[in-house]
This record gives sequence, C-alpha cells and structure tokens, in this order.
Amino acid sequence: MSETTVRRAGNRVFVAAVVLACVWVLVPIYLLLVNALSAPAEVTGFPKRFWPSFDLASIRFFLGFRGVTSALWNSVQVAVLTMVMAIAAGAPAGYALARFDFPGKQLFRFMVVMTRAFPLPLLALPLAVLFIRVGLDDTVLGLAFVHTTLALPFAVLITYSLFSGIPYELEEAALTLGCNRVQAFLKVVLPLAAPGIAASAVFAFVISWNEVFASAVLTIEHRTLTAFLLQSLDVSPLPLKFAGGAALVLPALGFIFAVRKYLFAMWGIANR
Amino acid sequence: MTFNRLRSTALVAGILLMAGPALAEPLFWSTQAKPVEETQRMREQVLAGFPGGVDYQPSDEGPWITRIQAEAQAGRGTIAVLGGLHGDLSSLGANLVDLSGIDVSAVGPAMVELGRLGTTEQKYIPWMQATYLMVANKKALPYLPAGADINALSYDQFIAWTKALAEGTGGPKFGFPAGPRGLKHRFFQGFLLPSYTGSTVTEFRSAEAEVAWNKFKELWAYTNPASTGYGFMQEQLLTEEVWVAFDHVARIADAFNQRPDDFVAFPAPAGPKGRAFMPVLAGIAVPTTAPDKAQALALVAFMLKPETQIATLRATNFFPVIATDMPADMPPSVRASAAAIAAMTGAADALPALLPMGLGDKGGQFSQIYTDTFERIVLNGQPVRAVLDEEAAVLRALMIEANAPCWAPDAASDGPCPVK
Repeated sequence: MSETTVRRAGNRVFVAAVVLACVWVLVPIYLLLVNALSAPAEVTGFPKRFWPSFDLASIRFFLGFRGVTSALWNSVQVAVLTMVMAIAAGAPAGYALARFDFPGKQLFRFMVVMTRAFPLPLLALPLAVLFIRVGLDDTVLGLAFVHTTLALPFAVLITYSLFSGIPYELEEAALTLGCNRVQAFLKVVLPLAAPGIAASAVFAFVISWNEVFASAVLTIEHRTLTAFLLQSLDVSPLPLKFAGGAALVLPALGFIFAVRKYLFAMWGIANR
Repeated sequence: MTFNRLRSTALVAGILLMAGPALAEPLFWSTQAKPVEETQRMREQVLAGFPGGVDYQPSDEGPWITRIQAEAQAGRGTIAVLGGLHGDLSSLGANLVDLSGIDVSAVGPAMVELGRLGTTEQKYIPWMQATYLMVANKKALPYLPAGADINALSYDQFIAWTKALAEGTGGPKFGFPAGPRGLKHRFFQGFLLPSYTGSTVTEFRSAEAEVAWNKFKELWAYTNPASTGYGFMQEQLLTEEVWVAFDHVARIADAFNQRPDDFVAFPAPAGPKGRAFMPVLAGIAVPTTAPDKAQALALVAFMLKPETQIATLRATNFFPVIATDMPADMPPSVRASAAAIAAMTGAADALPALLPMGLGDKGGQFSQIYTDTFERIVLNGQPVRAVLDEEAAVLRALMIEANAPCWAPDAASDGPCPVK
C-alpha cells in the first residue's frame, strides 16, 4: 500500500467518524422536532414522513398551557442568576487556588467537591423548611442560591485549572511595567481566561436549567420550566412529550450556540 | 461589559420577584391529574367554577410529600388543599385537619371509612375513584376461543385467547405494563392472586398462589417481551404493538378518545375464587398549615358536588364517588370504561380487592415484594415454590413491622395481617 492510499483510507475513517458523531447528536433532535411539528395522529403513525407536516396543534396546546411562558421566564432568570453568582464566587476561588498557597488549601478543594456528595432529595426537606422560615421560599433568588451551590464546584475547579494554565510570569511582567495587582489581573489574565470563564458560566447555566428536584420542592408559583414540564410530561401523551421536549432543548441549544465562540476558543479551535 | 449589564438586569429582576404575588387563590397540591391535558381540564372545566378560582398544581409524589413535610415542620404553609391517592394520604394522618364537618352522606360508607385512616377523625374526603380494565383492539376479537363471552372470561380462556393471537398473527399480542412506571404490582395484588386464592396477603404462599403464578407464566409466553418497558398501555395500543392490554382506566383513555371505534374495554378475567378487581380511591384533605381553613373546607365541599364530580370525570377519567346520573355526551373513553366497570363490579362473581392500607410509608416496600416475586418467577425463571416461601418471609416481617391489619378480601385480623 502506498502512502497516499493509507492516507486516503485514514481520511475516510475520519470522515465516517465525523458523520457518525453528527448523526449521533442530530438524529434525536431531528426526530424531536419532526414529531413536535406533526399532527398528533402522525406521531403514533408509521411510517414517518421525512418532512413534518408543520401541524402546530401540539405546540399550540403546549404554549397555551397555563404557566408555560412564565415557567420559561423563571428558568431563564434562575439560570442567569446562577451563572452570575457561580462565576462571581467561583472564579476568585479558582484564582486563589491557582496562585496562592494557604493553609487548608487541599481541604478547601475537597470540601468544594463535597457539596456534590449529598443527594438533593435528602437536602430538599431541611432546605425547604429553612427557606419557608426566612422567606426565600418560592422565589427565583432562593432557587438560584441552591443551583449556585450545585454549580460552584465546577466553576471553582474549571477556573482553577484555567488560571493554573496562564503563566504567572505574564502577571509579573505586567507588575514590573507599572500595573498593580488588580490591573495586572484585569488587563493580562482576564482576557486570556475569558473564554474559559464563559465556558464554565455556560456549564453553570446548563446545570441550573436541567435541575428538577430542588425546583419542584422549593418553588410552587415560580416553577422553572424543567420542574414544570418533567412533573407532567412523563405522564402525558406522546405528541405533547415531543412538543415539551423541543421546548426544553431549544433554549439550551440556542444559548450554547450563542456562546459557541468561547467554547471553541477554550478547546483551541480557530473560529472566524 | 455585557457581564456587568447581565448582572445588574438579573439582580433587579431577582429583587423584583422576591416580593412575589399575593396568594388569593387556594393552592390545590395534588398527585393526581398530572398529564398536561388533564391538568388543563382540571383548571378550566372543574375548578374554574369555584368562587375566586383555584391554583391547581400537580406534582410527583416525591416533591409532593417533601413539600408537605417542609410546611408542617416550618409550621407555616401555602398549600390549602391536598389531593392524592389513599396511599399518598395514609402516611400524613397527623398533619391533616379533621373534616367531620363536611357532608359525606352521598358517598358510600366503605369509602368514607377508608378516609378515616383508622382514626376517629375524617382525615380525608373521598374525591374520585377508578380501577383497572382490559382493552382489546377489535382486530383481536375473531381470535376469541369458541363460546367465550368477552365480559365473563376466565383466566384459562384469556390465556387461550392470547395463545391463539400469538399463533394467528405471528407474534405475541398481549401487553402488560411491567415497566418501571407500569402498575404491574396492582395486577398481582388486586387481580391475579385474589382470583385464585381469595386473598392478597394471608394466602401469599398457598398452593393456590402457586397455581396463580404458574398461570401467569403461561400467559407471559404469549405476552410481548417488550412489556418490561411498558408504562402506559394506551401508547402500545395506539401503535398496535399490542392488541390486548391490561391497565388503569386513566392510562387507556387516550386509545378510546383517539380511535373510539377500534377498541373495546372488558372486565378482568375470573379465577376459581371469583373475578377479583382493585378499586382505586383518591381523596382530598386539608393540611393543618393551610393559610385559610374556611376557604379550604369550602373547596373540599365544592369537589363533592354532583356537577363537580361529573366535570372531574370528564377531566381525569376518574369516576364519581357519589351516585349520580351520567350525561349522554361523555367522551368515548368514559362510555367504554363505564360499561366495562359496570360489568366487572356487577358480575355475580365480583371480588373487590382493596388497595393496601395501614402500611403507612411501607406501601412502596409492600408492592416491591410483589414486583420482586414477579421478576424472580417470571423473568428469571426461578422455582415458584421456593420464591413464594422466601418472599412470604419478607412479607410477614413487613406486615409485623407495619402492624397493619388485613384488608379486603383478606379476613379481618387482630394485630398484623398474618401470612400463612
């Protein structure tokens, strides 16, 4: 075998792998969308049509369902608050872990991960009691606090590895050239770390977006979309499951699409 | 820049929402009518008639009970009225207000008694009831054994029917909800075992129970093997993956409502001891932490009115707990189910087997024993006698631990229900 045939075969394997990966991700989303946009009778029918009939009965019922739009808005609020709080608390912690040696550093790293060790159904009862007593019960802010706790370990550890990867010499150079510590951080380190911070923010957003149990217990009037839908969707007819599934997936997809530049940058893929 | 703007917007939004709206509507916190369409109908057709409106919120059992416990512990709550199955409510006794003031004269005395949860107080008021039925695609009817009456089948005839179907169509056509969300344990507790043994608990390991499980193994040979993933049989009936199925009336309703002319509902088969079936009862209760008790009691009384009961039937496919005339324009699922329920409950050999009671929070473990027995005997092929002996020991220990007396059809007992 000549070198070119080997390379060509390698290329083919590569292309096949890429196609497989795309199919793996795209086919479920495609089926979700096709079924969401089909008339209820077509959803249970077989064979499926390649193009949906764009019958909006399922979607219309779904959007007309009391509370869907406000639940969507609640979800966005909680997720954005979670994202902001997780980064506001997590990035400085990650920076401190990466740059300074202090007593109890190992313990701290361990304790941060520990917050993920307790199952939420166990924590939900005492949390709900506490929240009712202090008046945080059934508020977007209260739920965002819980989600921040869940997202924080990831925010701390991602930013920790991020800041560790940026040479301290760059900061020292900035310091010798007249920056103070804050300026050195803002002008040198932050621009380099921004894509990674954005990525961990997206992560926090997705954690909050997907969380069900705490949302279901801690909120009643201010249900998030996930809690609102997962409670009722799994026992609903198929056409509505597809409509609801599409409604859950699309905003998260849209958000990730909007910040894809930063995600790609974090993985070192050039993006024009 | 954008981060700062986002943060300030989010904080402002968060602070605005801290206040929250004033809660005027009573909050109806329920484990029933969870499917979105049923929820919508509960709100628009049933509860819209209550003066001032009602905030109906269905929830999974886990969050449902956690929330109630949290409010009870905090000593302050937003929930006005609780809705749930007998089993959901039975563990909440201490947190429920006595509802003896509500007029329940129209409700059957057996159901009212269930609502006392073994105390002298009326802990909950019966709200609606349902049961389980068999459904067949009309295409399956020609395969019925000669001389069999679909409204009075025996288990032997039923198995012969599924056998004829499997052989005549080239594949098993009976579907059984044995998936994680399926209600298989109710079939064993309320249908199969009582039909053969006249008992759910006491005769668990009797020779008759052995016969019953061997019959079910026979039936399983003509059951679609994908049954171990089935939850709501209406889906497989509509896709025609199965032609005959057993499930809760609420979980077959969609089949009738989408294609009313294609399906028939019929009573569960009968065994040597009778035609056993399990009635399901849901109740409404008021937690001690309800913000406005007078309003909550008014809502409970409203749910018992005949027109509310009929509206509830339309919305949820759960049947009224009071005797009332059925309007002629009921949906196809209601008409089909009502006829089959009448045939089943009115049969000469009818044998009602109630939902487990007195088990408190052990209800899940109780059902698990029946599920385990099914999985070991039918799915794993372990010897019936040995499995029944082992599981009977577990069941005996559980009944003693829960100190639960027998319920129908088992004969009443002093102390925990014995397992022979």
